[in-house]
Amino acid sequence: MKRTHIVLLLLVAGLMGTFVASITSTSRSVDFATAFADPGTEYKVSGTLAIDFPVEYDPQKNTSLTKFHMKDKMGEVHEVWLEKAKPTGLERSESIDLYGKAADGHFRATEMLMKCPSKYNEQNHLLEADA
Amino acid sequence: MEYLGEWMWAAILGRGLVALAFASAVLATVAFLRGHVTLGRRAFFTHASSTLGVIALMFVLFFGHRYEFQYIWKHLNNEMPMRFVLSAFWGGQEGGFLLWMFWHNVLALFILRRADAWQREVMTVLSAIEAFLGVMLLGIYFGDFQLGLDPFLLLREAPNNLGLPWTARLDYLTSFSQFTDGQGLNPLLQNYWMTIHPPTLFLGFAACSIPFAYAIGALWRRDLSSWIKPVLPWTFFAVGILGAGILMGGAWAYEALSFGGFWAWDPVENSSLVPWMVLVAAAHLLLINRNKKKPTALFSTVYLSILAFLLVLYSTFLTKSGVLGDTSVHSFVDSGILPQLLAYLLAFVALGHLMLLEDVASRKVFGGLALATLGLVAVGHPALGFLAFLAVMAAAAIRAFRREFKGDDDEDALWSREFWMFVGSLLLVLGAVHITWQTSVPVFNLFLEPFAPVLSWAEGVTGWGLLGDLAQHDLAPGTDLDRTYHMVQVPLAVLIFLLIGLAQWLKYKNSDIRVVAGKLVRALLGAVVLTGALLVVYDFKSHEIPRVALLFATLFAALSNADYIVQMWKGKLDTMGSPLAHVGFALTIFGAVLSTAQKDVISQNRIGDISTLNEELNNATDLLLMEGDTLPMGPYFVSYRERRQEGIHVLFDMAYFERAPKAYTKDQIVVHEGMVWQALDDHLASPTFDEDVETHWNFLPFPQESQTSRASRWVNGTPGDEVFTLSPRIQLNEQMGNAPEPDTKHFAFRDLYTHIKWGRVTPPETDEEGWLGGQSQEFVVGDSMFVGGVLMTVDSLRVVRDDERPERGLLDNDLALAACIGLRRGRTVEVHDPLYIVRGNTVVPDLYEAEGWGLRFRIEAFDPENETVEMTVWEHESVRRDFVVMQAVIFPQINWLWLGCILMTLGSFLAVRMRIRQRKASNHG
Repeated sequence: MKRTHIVLLLLVAGLMGTFVASITSTSRSVDFATAFADPGTEYKVSGTLAIDFPVEYDPQKNTSLTKFHMKDKMGEVHEVWLEKAKPTGLERSESIDLYGKAADGHFRATEMLMKCPSKYNEQNHLLEADA
Repeated sequence: MEYLGEWMWAAILGRGLVALAFASAVLATVAFLRGHVTLGRRAFFTHASSTLGVIALMFVLFFGHRYEFQYIWKHLNNEMPMRFVLSAFWGGQEGGFLLWMFWHNVLALFILRRADAWQREVMTVLSAIEAFLGVMLLGIYFGDFQLGLDPFLLLREAPNNLGLPWTARLDYLTSFSQFTDGQGLNPLLQNYWMTIHPPTLFLGFAACSIPFAYAIGALWRRDLSSWIKPVLPWTFFAVGILGAGILMGGAWAYEALSFGGFWAWDPVENSSLVPWMVLVAAAHLLLINRNKKKPTALFSTVYLSILAFLLVLYSTFLTKSGVLGDTSVHSFVDSGILPQLLAYLLAFVALGHLMLLEDVASRKVFGGLALATLGLVAVGHPALGFLAFLAVMAAAAIRAFRREFKGDDDEDALWSREFWMFVGSLLLVLGAVHITWQTSVPVFNLFLEPFAPVLSWAEGVTGWGLLGDLAQHDLAPGTDLDRTYHMVQVPLAVLIFLLIGLAQWLKYKNSDIRVVAGKLVRALLGAVVLTGALLVVYDFKSHEIPRVALLFATLFAALSNADYIVQMWKGKLDTMGSPLAHVGFALTIFGAVLSTAQKDVISQNRIGDISTLNEELNNATDLLLMEGDTLPMGPYFVSYRERRQEGIHVLFDMAYFERAPKAYTKDQIVVHEGMVWQALDDHLASPTFDEDVETHWNFLPFPQESQTSRASRWVNGTPGDEVFTLSPRIQLNEQMGNAPEPDTKHFAFRDLYTHIKWGRVTPPETDEEGWLGGQSQEFVVGDSMFVGGVLMTVDSLRVVRDDERPERGLLDNDLALAACIGLRRGRTVEVHDPLYIVRGNTVVPDLYEAEGWGLRFRIEAFDPENETVEMTVWEHESVRRDFVVMQAVIFPQINWLWLGCILMTLGSFLAVRMRIRQRKASNHG
């Protein structure tokens, strides 16, 4: 057996290890029901801002806590505690992805991504309305 | 029918040029393929001129503010300074494709000028790439299917405007105000980084196609040795430019965006890094084979040269097609060209893999199989189809490797440079595979979907939860970067840097390891000493051992290569390209790892007063700063001076002061951790109270009222001289939402990076008398809260005394309760008592103003049993103080990163120069 083959074998072993390791590092994207059935495990939950509830952010109390409600894709609404300052444009967001865990009574998110509507679409509505 | 004021001629001319560019690229491909070199050259010159024409016409439209064109209207507006016109030009997909084509043309002109032995093959491939890119700009519809995005599309022809009433009015340009101004470029992109980062990156992407073209040419001719010398300078050029482009992206993120760092492992960043890593590996394998009579690892050399370009296409596909969707902050939205981006990607994947096979018959077999798998896509099984396609491609590569490439390898000597370069290159590829794997999670979900039933069944049989998770095909990328990336990338990088340090001193063919070891001793000792120094200066946790190992490895690599330059310097700059680039690479990673691992969030909320409030979470990394207040923060005191607006930016001026030791005078009284102390003498405070307590302070076990009232909290520092001002800002951005932009103070060995997490951009609304909207809240006796810099505490609840009644305007039968509210601002303390009045059966609202405090109260409900009140509190604008939430981070030693970037780019270009000279020399020789 050649030395290059041994190196290659080691690399392939490394590769397999990498894949196993990376599968365990991914989380799953689920709905609130699944996340709350399994509190303490990191999940991704997507949905939209529930506009019937207020967005609470009081930096004089806590600079890194924003509370709001989100409706997941199944229509279930839960309170969310985001451990960050209130992101700009939260109220205008079209969809929200939360990364975090279910805690007692609320979903505690450590990361959040938002999609905001592009102005392009708004402008089109404007044109339609004007014309 | 003619529309008034439209530059219809420009639309016609532009579309004509686009069509000509596409047609001539197709012609050039066919001509070069058939060997009609003269015709091919003419066709390509036509292509290059018409592409240039398209670009020039676009600029004319930009400078003329021709808003009837959709692309101009979407990316320009009247306010926008014209210095950002370049950013606007490549702000959209169409401009991005044009930029990419432009660079291909520039590079192709160099190839055509040299017209070397590989001209025909290389130009065939480049013309084909250009033809595919040309399709992206055609903008032709076949029914609902859209082929390409027309850069000259008129606004009234845009699909979402078609049929709207205004499009039928011939005077729409003059009669609607919307058409006199465009939307403008997203302000986030109005930035000088946006003018230099995309062209550099696209030049790097374009340059990746040259090694690809040469490799395809070599496979075509089945001459796998003579392409290596001419392709080497191109490969190093691509490595240098692409590397510079990626790092500029990092610099942009760090300087102008609020990621809080220069690298976030975002899919878009990753997808430009991966081709670079693969290209670096390919370049090293090419170097190995350049220096050998009998080639080694030819398959890997060819394959990696091809793969780098395919990964560029994959990267384009991921970022431009919208598949990444919600996993990336800066990917494009779906623009309806996904199918053709995919076709572009698959066509070149197929070309690259089928060409590996030598005989035409097996190329046809595998090509047929590949087409058959795409048939699966057509009949509605896309995931299975693409998976089968990839399997066919892998099979073709394996067959080629076994049949045509195997067995020609000689065993390299253990202590030869080429052996360890080969190992290092494979490690780089391994790293690239891992990053691609992690980035492609959204793609995997698509591939897992058809296997869901199988996986669920397998979970039932084996009981492995992992299989069940896979069956859900709802994987989401991990958010813990340490687990997702660093866990694999850091150990790989340690090995790579140790090899970089070692291999530079090894000779090709074989070397005496004892001699090499002797040469490495100095670098090794230096790295040990410096790492030791880092461990003394910085605090590393035990789980950070891999990081420390990486710092050691980068130091070793940098010192070893620097030592090589010093020892081998013979006045020839050219030969120093390789060690210089390696020093640069090592320093880049050294600076990146150290500054990230040891970043110090000095804005962490450590203020006593805030923690007395009922906090729900206490992980605040941000500082709440009231206008006019001066607070200690890390090694500074910081003061929020004012908020001002400049154009689309709201700036928050923050003054920074040195931290001077606080001076205490004899007999001064302080409170420290709830105990009262008296100063024994005049002294300057030490950093901690414990150091001073023995010599300077006397404990007062029973302080008198007069003593406690003048006591202040013990602090070690006081604001000294003002040293600098930073103005982090919020960009007013209607399109994307307001966005914070950092402001950073650069020092030689650290940066102070600050940005606004939350701040008001406009004053809040008030009523005519200047009162802000009140907030209602329930208080238990003892509760306190901050209102406009005043600490208010509900001290007690009491019944109103009879003698107070007349002055409070109460009637005899009124039932009245008072809430005693303590107000405190600095040293001033006052007690106020709003009333809760019940007259007969009704509650009489009593609005109480605390004069001089700018506060108003009204008790809404009273529960004496539980000692709670519900109260509304209003604040007057005269006392309201603006505040911001700010984050401040110290990044130590970050300048090594930038220095490393410069050295690495410089080194790459020295390597290009040397390879060009060698090529010339060998041509003459």
